[in-house]
Amino acid sequence: MTPLLEVSGVSKRFGGLQAVSDVSFSLGEREILGLIGPNGAGKTTLFNVVNGVYKADKGTIKFAGEDITNRPPNEVVHLGLARTHQIVKPLQDMTVLENVTVGACFGREYLALQPARKVALEVLERVGLAKSAEMSARSLTIAGKKRLEVARALAAHPKLLLLDEVLAGLNPTEITYMIGIVRDIRDSGISVFMIEHVMQAIMSLSDRLVVLSFGQKLAEGHPEEVARDPQVIEAYLGDPDIAEKLKEND
Amino acid sequence: MSGILASMIDGLLIGSVYGLAAMGLSLIWGVMDVINLTHGAVIALGMFGMYILFAAFPVNAYLLLLPVIAAGLLLGLLIYWIAVHWVIGRSQLSSLLSTFAVNMMIIGIGTAIWSTSPYNVNFTLRGITVGAYTFDGNHLAAAGAAVIIGLALELFLYRTRPGKAIRAVADNREAAELMGISSTMVLALAFAIGIALAASSGALVSTLFPFTILSGAGYQMKSFVVTVLAGLGKPLGALVAGVLLGLLEGAVTPFIAVSWIPLIEFGLFVVVLVAFPKGIFARATA
Repeated sequence: MTPLLEVSGVSKRFGGLQAVSDVSFSLGEREILGLIGPNGAGKTTLFNVVNGVYKADKGTIKFAGEDITNRPPNEVVHLGLARTHQIVKPLQDMTVLENVTVGACFGREYLALQPARKVALEVLERVGLAKSAEMSARSLTIAGKKRLEVARALAAHPKLLLLDEVLAGLNPTEITYMIGIVRDIRDSGISVFMIEHVMQAIMSLSDRLVVLSFGQKLAEGHPEEVARDPQVIEAYLGDPDIAEKLKEND
Repeated sequence: MSGILASMIDGLLIGSVYGLAAMGLSLIWGVMDVINLTHGAVIALGMFGMYILFAAFPVNAYLLLLPVIAAGLLLGLLIYWIAVHWVIGRSQLSSLLSTFAVNMMIIGIGTAIWSTSPYNVNFTLRGITVGAYTFDGNHLAAAGAAVIIGLALELFLYRTRPGKAIRAVADNREAAELMGISSTMVLALAFAIGIALAASSGALVSTLFPFTILSGAGYQMKSFVVTVLAGLGKPLGALVAGVLLGLLEGAVTPFIAVSWIPLIEFGLFVVVLVAFPKGIFARATA
């Protein structure tokens, strides 16, 4: 079976900084792939290259059998690759429902307003924001805004969802809730590619992990294998407890 | 006393046309952070557009608004691709200068064709007499048309897919792109609509007063005052603020020479900029 997403030899340089260097990996249908690595490892840059925010200097990205290298983000969404942002970007002047409706309108299916609204209501129900539908997006809490990001991306009916630190800044209860949402997304047949710093969560959620360090792929595999990989442990040495944290989940 | 009242009602009617013009400026400013200095020249083109159409088809001049709007949309796309697309995202000075250049081109071409002598559209609707005063038919029709176009824009922005896309891009261009919206298409569309609004307001003015190719400048200035009154990027607010400005003009005209009006308007402009930088309709929210 051909993978849903196939990244081959992708590099991205900013001036003197090689942010992503010759990274290759693939992601299958209904798979949750985690992307971890120390701060500044190039995780978000890799996301930005995959969904076309940045142009790759080298390498190719194939999605659902199509070459999407350097296609702009708005076109990639129509093919079924949606994304949330690390720093939440709600459309401030719109209601929560309107935000998600816009996501559905311009997603994979180009829905008209009425069906888009229906999809939006379903998605809000799924992420537990139904009660806030008529609130202004700017008045949501951080946890609410993170869920809104997910809802907006989900409303596009993606085949693959890129989640950039959806757990950051959440309290333990909210994290548990969000993990439930991510599992539910995968169970509905959508693949997930996620960046996360909350280790316990990413270890338990991911089917496989890719580890980046200084822009290079350090390791790839089952979370338990990756956690034992001496190179990975070394990469995290800036944070001496990380090896212990990784092992806690064995 | 009835003189002031009549003058104020007249001001209110003309004010809605100011508001329509300002909606165009405000929409472009709000969506793409471009201060469109072709605004006045396009208003003047709207006047001459109406003049040419009325000379060719002497029907009810207000029906000719539809072809003026259509031509305005096309002109807007043209100006967008010539002068605006390339400077989007650069400093506001770039777009200020590039739209100013187009403004000078339009004025230059217009002067070559029509010189700077006055023209007028010879069309008169019958007025409505209430008591001792007769309201000018053209003023009533122009105000009605301005309000209808303004409300149509509002419905478009809030109740249609392209309208929501425009609001999404105005709100956060990056987020809109992540949601699958092509911001280039949306910016071009918003610019075209802004230009069409300016052209239609010019067409309405041409049914009220004589005009020259230079007449747009005064309306451009009023559009700035109205836009600042309403706060940036609030098209319907611009319509209301336009009506308020017209009312103000109507209220002071019986007492002072017309030449004082710009002084009052721009005095107001400065006061609003200093005291209400987000416009008089800004909500108290952060």
